[in-house]
Amino acid sequence: MNAISRQTKSWMAVAGVVAAGAVVGLSILPALGADAGHTAHAAQEVARGAASHGAADHGHAAVSVFSLKQIAHSYLTAYMFCLSLCVGSLFLTLAHHLFDAGWSASIRRVTETVASLLFPWMLILALPIIVFAWTGNLHAWFKINPADDHALDVKKVLFNPMAFTVLVPVLITLLGLLARQIRAWSIAQDKDGAAHWTSKSRKLAAGGIFFFAFGVTLLCFLLMKSLQHQFFSTMYGVYYFAGSVWTTLITLYLLTMWLSQPGRPLEKVYFKRQQQDLGVLFFAFTVFYAYIHFSQYFLIWNAALPEETFWYVRREVGSWKWVGMTILFGHFFVPFLILLNQDIKRNMAVMIPVGAWAWLMQYVDMTYNVMPVLHPEGLKLTLWDPIFWIGMSVVLARLFWSDYRKNPAYPLKDPRLQEAIVHHEVPAPGASAAH
Amino acid sequence: MSSNRSKPHGLLAEFHTAADIFEAAMRCRDAGFTQWDVYTPFPIHGMDEAMGLRKSPVGWFTFCGGFTGFFTGMTMIWYMNKFDYPLVVGGKPLFTPLYAFPVSYEMTILLSAFGTLFGMFFLNQLPKFYNPLFKNERFKKSTDDRFFICIEATDPKFGTDATRTFLTEKCHAAVVELVED
Repeated sequence: MNAISRQTKSWMAVAGVVAAGAVVGLSILPALGADAGHTAHAAQEVARGAASHGAADHGHAAVSVFSLKQIAHSYLTAYMFCLSLCVGSLFLTLAHHLFDAGWSASIRRVTETVASLLFPWMLILALPIIVFAWTGNLHAWFKINPADDHALDVKKVLFNPMAFTVLVPVLITLLGLLARQIRAWSIAQDKDGAAHWTSKSRKLAAGGIFFFAFGVTLLCFLLMKSLQHQFFSTMYGVYYFAGSVWTTLITLYLLTMWLSQPGRPLEKVYFKRQQQDLGVLFFAFTVFYAYIHFSQYFLIWNAALPEETFWYVRREVGSWKWVGMTILFGHFFVPFLILLNQDIKRNMAVMIPVGAWAWLMQYVDMTYNVMPVLHPEGLKLTLWDPIFWIGMSVVLARLFWSDYRKNPAYPLKDPRLQEAIVHHEVPAPGASAAH
Repeated sequence: MSSNRSKPHGLLAEFHTAADIFEAAMRCRDAGFTQWDVYTPFPIHGMDEAMGLRKSPVGWFTFCGGFTGFFTGMTMIWYMNKFDYPLVVGGKPLFTPLYAFPVSYEMTILLSAFGTLFGMFFLNQLPKFYNPLFKNERFKKSTDDRFFICIEATDPKFGTDATRTFLTEKCHAAVVELVED
């Protein structure tokens, strides 16, 4: 790894202090009394069996804004949002190598750098989640004896505190190391231009994509899906993946557009054709996400098994129903209809608001997954939501930028770079000497 | 073959490289011709702009097809299951967009594809069984290693001699010949 700059060190220190402070400070707050009561209550609920999920949900007491539970859930929502950008970037990097792509060579350094945030930053940011879980503020099953809960008992191989504590950091670290290894080879190629770095990356990507699929699925199962450990969905991993790549593509679109403005590093290697291609991919993932989420919903709706339907039944209570509708229309229909037109994908006046909207929709989607556990009666926004969402995003954006500037802005000697920068600027009517 | 003099179909100009025809296409575009086309053995990137073609309107046929398909699917299922022959299946509602969605979605894709295909046929005036260019021996090389521009006689700016001069001198065509109807 490269030497770590002073600036990065200071950011590392800040992040470390914030994380450690949050963990220590919040763990000793005297909110534990209420939590102990809640745990006993939860155990009673579970004893009533899976069929009564819907009814049991309403048994929760209203959660105070300053309770650890509120903070933990807001933190997890923000974390899942940021994690989606990192895993989405890792996927685009892997996909670039797997397809031996040319067009994306000049923007690959951006996705490589975002994916490299996984280690160590996303790992550090995951530590509070583990502490929240252990202190009984996040995943209910940390405090449930599997012998009392059949749904937990059959899943205890995965859903037990030790597995969680080991798997979450290990998976994030391995995904991060995968991202860093591919970037390290790409940077090595900047120096000598040897093609073997590309073939090494391709081979690693071929194995890495399998690990990526398992790793991301396991991570979102453990971190988010297991908030309601009774739930079954084989589509949950790909559902999180689809939303992640969707959000990453529009982020990459806006980022590369900004980086290719006159005087910025990608000015001479990024063209309208790549912008169009990113827009098209974003459009494709708009449809893919809808397809996946609809499939998950439809299969559960059609089969009508209580151990699956309770997840959506809970999300049709109170204002959660309207949050679901917002996702249906805001995450799919509106972007879909806007992006249908070919030329829109190069129209900044449209794409910038669409990008901001997409970020909001991904956050709403994460909220829809996490928050109904805490607020079954309906959507309840607290100060913590914007604090963690914006705070974590800004810290990570800052870390990205200091990291990105340390290396060349695009793979200088990538064998495919020429394919990316070949473009066809046709003179406008009247420009040729036709007279 | 009939020896009667027939009216001209247009002037066929032959080029030897993609770069030559690209340049020539821009000159034809700038000269204001409207009834002309480019024939090449393979697609040439940027040719649409070089010819000054507008974006293809075929997308509208696709959209109308998809829109029709979606609502046909929904309406059909509503009519059959809720109205014409109400039948409870699996305790589900008689009609809900949920279970009608997969079929409507398939109908959207099917009719979008039809819209695209037949819209393209319509816009290109296909199928067309005869084109005077088919008779031209030289034109057969347009599927091999030659590049052609044909400016048709119906073009308001067409004049046999003036256009021939334009193609030879301004566009540097290798060969220009008159194609008869």
